[in-house]
Amino acid sequence: MTRKKVKLAFIANDSARKATFKKRKKGLMKKVSELSTLCGIDACAIVYSPYDPQPEVWPSPMGVQRVLSKFRRMPELEQSKKMVNQESFLRQRILKAKDQLKKQRKDNREKEITQLMFQYLSAGKIMHNISMVDLNDLAWLIDQNLKDINRRIEVLTKNNGQSQTQVAAPVVTNVVAKIEDKAQGSSNTHLGQGFDINIDLMHKQNWFMNLMNNGGGGGNETMPFGDVNNHQNGFWPNPFFH
Amino acid sequence: MSMSKSKKSSLGRQKIPIEKIPKKSHLQVTFSKRRSGLFKKASELCTLCGVEIAIVVFSPADKAFSFGHPEVESLIDRYTARNHPPESSSSGAHHLVEAHRNANVRDLNMQLTQLLSQLEMEKKRGEDLEQERKTRQRQLWWESPVDELGLHELAQLKLSIEDLKNNIHKHATKFMLDSSSSSSSSSPLLGGPNTSLGPLPRYDASSLHPNPHYHLAFPTPYL
Repeated sequence: MTRKKVKLAFIANDSARKATFKKRKKGLMKKVSELSTLCGIDACAIVYSPYDPQPEVWPSPMGVQRVLSKFRRMPELEQSKKMVNQESFLRQRILKAKDQLKKQRKDNREKEITQLMFQYLSAGKIMHNISMVDLNDLAWLIDQNLKDINRRIEVLTKNNGQSQTQVAAPVVTNVVAKIEDKAQGSSNTHLGQGFDINIDLMHKQNWFMNLMNNGGGGGNETMPFGDVNNHQNGFWPNPFFH
Repeated sequence: MSMSKSKKSSLGRQKIPIEKIPKKSHLQVTFSKRRSGLFKKASELCTLCGVEIAIVVFSPADKAFSFGHPEVESLIDRYTARNHPPESSSSGAHHLVEAHRNANVRDLNMQLTQLLSQLEMEKKRGEDLEQERKTRQRQLWWESPVDELGLHELAQLKLSIEDLKNNIHKHATKFMLDSSSSSSSSSPLLGGPNTSLGPLPRYDASSLHPNPHYHLAFPTPYL
């Protein structure tokens, strides 16, 4: 089998054209036959060529007549609904390709922005110049991720099957929200907001661990620590600090 | 052939026996793909060899699909009438119509080829990005899918992400405030359509995170 790329244009050379015709016609008939057998469906093909006054057909003149009759018996609308010629067939394929391209680009963009998000997470800050567009997409992606994370947390805490931990999920979100509010407000400690947030992070980790280990308490426990600002001197040992 | 860990998007070309496909869903997919391929082959044959072809197939759901060059209708009528007038298309007008049609087909074909190659490129890009992420996942646990993370990790991740979210809002606000002075465009990080409000001359991200330990919340391989 030749695997040279053939230019899709009328073959000027007569003998080459005839040879191609014979091969491809044979291949075409084989494909129709396979389609019919594999899918158990009715089909027919008619080929008119300058090489033969009689058209070449599949499966047989009788078979073709049968299929054509079945076709003609259908309402006009049904006949023409899926009818194509070269032009319309190509247009269909073009639409499909455009659609696939759009989807793939969207997918890739999401992957890129995700990569960006992880870069920022690792670095702990927003790096270099970022366009407003990317920023927007990033914000959207972050919200999506948060949704997924929350959903997963819920699932996991439910699956623990213990009644006390079932309280944990709503407690987590409530308390974390409270912490967030506090963090937002305490922007003027002498080391800057980053430090406060960092303390919070540390506290939250330990607090959360305690929560899970102790099996939670009532849902109305006050937060384990009060004013965030007063904890600058009291570092809780944190396994992630080196 | 790429490394052993790469995920193939499809099984590729597999040899199957030519008999009716037992599974209905498989059958439907096969019909769809092969019908399209059949029409494509027929179309190519018409262009390459200047012949006329009509194909009629019925789907498993008994819908009629037909392809015809130049037109299904006229070919069917011609065949049914058992009248095969050789080259009745010798009139000048007919030639003109045909030439015009062929030119259209040529253009459409070019357009399609271009789209398909763009699609290939984007697919490859997607695979590369996926591969990069998988590689990073081995060292950075937080890049793993959420479903694979434990509760403790999730809590941690959540806090860090929420913090990033805060930073983004601040960053965006800063952007808006700076917008009055900006005229040039910054280089967008990822080459998206650039509608940015300008570079960040005065915004120093590190001023929000003076604590160098911030990023140590995650154990990184660089420590």
